[in-house]
Amino acid sequence: MTQRRHLLQAATGIGASLLLPGLASAQTGGARRFQGVTLNVSTFSAAYPKLLQQWLPEFEAQTGARVNFDAPSFPVYNQRADLELSTKGAAYDVVNVTFIYSSRWINSGWLTPLDEFIANPQLTAADWDVNDFLSGARAPETGRDGKLYGIPWTAEALLSVSSRFDLVQQAGLEFPDTTDDLVKVLRAVNKKERVAGFVSDSHYGWTFVPYLHAFGGDVFRKAPDDLFPTLDTPEAIAAADYYAQLIREFGPDGAVTYQPDQVTQALKLGRVNFSDAGQLHLAQLGDAATSRTLKTVKFGFVPKGPAGRFPGTAVHGLGIPAGSRNKEAAWAFIQWALSRQTTRRAVAAGYGSPSRRSDIDSAEFRSRQRINGSDLAQLSLDTITQAERTGHMKYRTVSVYPQVDQQLNKAIALIATGQANARQAMQQAQAQSIAELRRAGQKI
Amino acid sequence: MADATVPAPPASQGWQSARRRAFALGLAPSLIVLLAITLVPAAALLVASFTPLSLTDPAGTFHFRDPLGNYRHLLEDARFLGSIATQLKLSAASVALQLAVGLGLALLLNGPSRVLGAARGAFLIPMVLPPIVVALIWKIMFTPDVSPLHRALDAIGWPVRSVIANPDTALWAIAFADTWQWFPFTMLMVLAALQMMPADPIEAASLDGADRWQLFRYIVFPHIRPVLVVCGLFRLIDSFKAFPLIFVLTDGGPGTVTEVTNYYGFIQAFNFSYWGYASAIAMVILAGVFTLSWLVGRLGWNDHDKR
Repeated sequence: MTQRRHLLQAATGIGASLLLPGLASAQTGGARRFQGVTLNVSTFSAAYPKLLQQWLPEFEAQTGARVNFDAPSFPVYNQRADLELSTKGAAYDVVNVTFIYSSRWINSGWLTPLDEFIANPQLTAADWDVNDFLSGARAPETGRDGKLYGIPWTAEALLSVSSRFDLVQQAGLEFPDTTDDLVKVLRAVNKKERVAGFVSDSHYGWTFVPYLHAFGGDVFRKAPDDLFPTLDTPEAIAAADYYAQLIREFGPDGAVTYQPDQVTQALKLGRVNFSDAGQLHLAQLGDAATSRTLKTVKFGFVPKGPAGRFPGTAVHGLGIPAGSRNKEAAWAFIQWALSRQTTRRAVAAGYGSPSRRSDIDSAEFRSRQRINGSDLAQLSLDTITQAERTGHMKYRTVSVYPQVDQQLNKAIALIATGQANARQAMQQAQAQSIAELRRAGQKI
Repeated sequence: MADATVPAPPASQGWQSARRRAFALGLAPSLIVLLAITLVPAAALLVASFTPLSLTDPAGTFHFRDPLGNYRHLLEDARFLGSIATQLKLSAASVALQLAVGLGLALLLNGPSRVLGAARGAFLIPMVLPPIVVALIWKIMFTPDVSPLHRALDAIGWPVRSVIANPDTALWAIAFADTWQWFPFTMLMVLAALQMMPADPIEAASLDGADRWQLFRYIVFPHIRPVLVVCGLFRLIDSFKAFPLIFVLTDGGPGTVTEVTNYYGFIQAFNFSYWGYASAIAMVILAGVFTLSWLVGRLGWNDHDKR
C-alpha cells in the first residue's frame, strides 16, 4: 500500500510540478520542502473537499508533506472543530472556516491571519492572486482587525427555483418576482399533476431569513454592533406567518422535516415545484442523467417583499488554526488547494460553486451553469454582489447567531405545524434568544 | 519486657490479617484507577456545572462567582422544563411498550420447538443493531417520499400522513422505534426466567383446576416479576439516552415536541458551546435517573427479597 502510494506520488509529482510551477518556485528550499511533515486537514464532506482528496498525492509528491484528510458530515465537523479550536490545540493544521462560526472562530483568536503568508513572495506564488477570490466571499472570512483568516472555496447563493415551470406557464403566469406573486402562482399550481407547491430545507435560520428581510424585519437590531434580537417586531411576525403558511398550505407531506438533499431530490423528481435553495444544490437539476425536470426548470432570485430583495449567501474557506505547529506547510496546502490550477481543474470536473472570479467567468463554467435558459452563474454572482453591497448577511456571521438560528428553526416549525400562531412563536423565539444571548455574556 | 506480657495472636488470626492486607494492597492500584476513571470525569462535570463555562471564552468563564447560577437559570428556562415533561412522557411510553411487547412475545415463544427457537433468534436482531442504523431504518420508514410502508398503505387506499412531522404523533414515533429496538431485551430476560421456572407448581395448580389466566396471574407472574422490574429499571435508565433516534428522526421537533432533556443539553453544549449550563443539565439528569432508579427499586425487586 505504501509502495503504491509512493509510486502514485512520483508519477503525479512530475505532472504536478508542470501544472503548478508557481507553488514550487515560491517555496524556499524548492520541491519536497516539507519532507517529513504530516499535515492534518479537516473539512466537512462536500464536493470540493472530495476532489481535493483525490488529488492529494500530487501535493504530497510536490512538497514531500504527508496529508491526513478528514471530512466528516457538516454537524459532526463543526462540533469537532469548535471544540478543538477552542482549546487552541495542535490536532489540525488546516480547517474549514465554517460560515456560521466564522466570526466566533476568527474573533476569538482561534485562527491564524493569512495576510503575512500571502504577502510573502517566498511563501506565495506570484500568480496566486488573492484578489481573484470574490470580495463578497472574502468578507465573512475577514476579522474585525481587517485581516483575512480563510480562503474561500465555495461562495454559494440562495436562489429561487420552479422545477415545473411548465405548470406555471400553463396557468398563464410568470416566474414570481415578489412575495405576493409567489402566493398567487402557488395557488394556481399547487397539487397540479400531484406536484406540491413549495418546500424548503428545514434549516429556516437559512431559508427563512431572506423573507424576514424582505418584509422589513431583521434578526438583530443592527449586526454586528447591536445584537439585540428583533424577532417579535410586527414585520418579523408577518414574515414568519407568511413563510410558515407557504410550508403549511403548499408543502408536501412531512414538509417540516425536509433536509437539503431531500429538497433537491423532490425538485429533480418533480414532486415539488417551488423552493429556495443554494446554487450548489440547484445546479444538480441540470444533470441530464438524474433530473426529470431538466426541460421544465427555471431559476430566479428569491422574491422581493415590501422592503426589497435580500438573498442569502454562504461562504466556506480554508484556514490555519492558531495552535497548528506546521503553519508554513499548512499555507502551502491551502495555496495548492485553491490555486488557479486546482480550482480550474475542479470546475472542469463539474464543481458548481467556485469562489474565484476567473473560474466563474470561464466559458466552461458559464455554459454548464446555463440550465434550460436560466443563467445560474450570473444569478449567483449578482446575489453575492448584492449581499456584499447591502451587508444584510452580517447577521449570520456574528458569534451568537447559532443560538438565534435555532430559535428561528423552532418558531417556523411551531407555526407550520399549528402548535402556535406567528405572534406566539416569534415572541417565544425572542424571549429565548435574549436568554441565550445573556448566557453568552452579551450585553443587550 | 513489656512485650512478654501481651498475649500473642493466634496463628490463624495473624494469617487472616496478612491475607486481608495482601488483598488490599493488590487491589489498591486497580481501585485507584477505577475511581479515577469513573469519578474524576463526574467530578469535573459537577465542578463545571458551578461555572458559566463557555467554549468561546474558556479562560474567562471558568470561575465560581455565582456557583448556583446555572441551576437557578434552569428553573426559569421554559424549554428545559418542557424537555423534562417530554422525557417523562417518552420514558413512560417506551418502557411500558417494551415491557408489554417483550413479556407477550416471551410467553408466546416459551417452548422447546425449533420454530420457536428460530423465531426467538430473529426477534433479537433489532437489539444487536447499532443505534444509528436503527435510526436510519426508521427515518426511511417514516419519510413518506421514500417509505415502502407509506407507499404500501397509499396503494391500498389508506394513506397515512408523516408521523414525524406531526406534533401529535412525533413522540409516539420515537417511542415506537425505541420499542422496536429494545423489546428483545425484555423478551430475552423473561424467557430466561420462564425457562428456569419449576414445573411442579404449575402442574399442581392445573390439577387443582386453575385456568390459564389463573396460572399466569398467581404462579407465572410472581415468578417473573423481579425480572420485569429489572428490565423496567434498565430500560428506564436507557430511555434517557434515546439520542440517536431523536437526532436523526426529528431533531427535537417539530418545534420542541420531541426535545428531551439530554437532547436539550446536547444543544446547549455542542451547538451553543455553553458547557457550564450543559453540565448543570447533565447533573440534573443524573440526579433524576438516580432518584427514579431508587424509586423503582423500592417499588419492585426489594419486595421479593423481603419475603
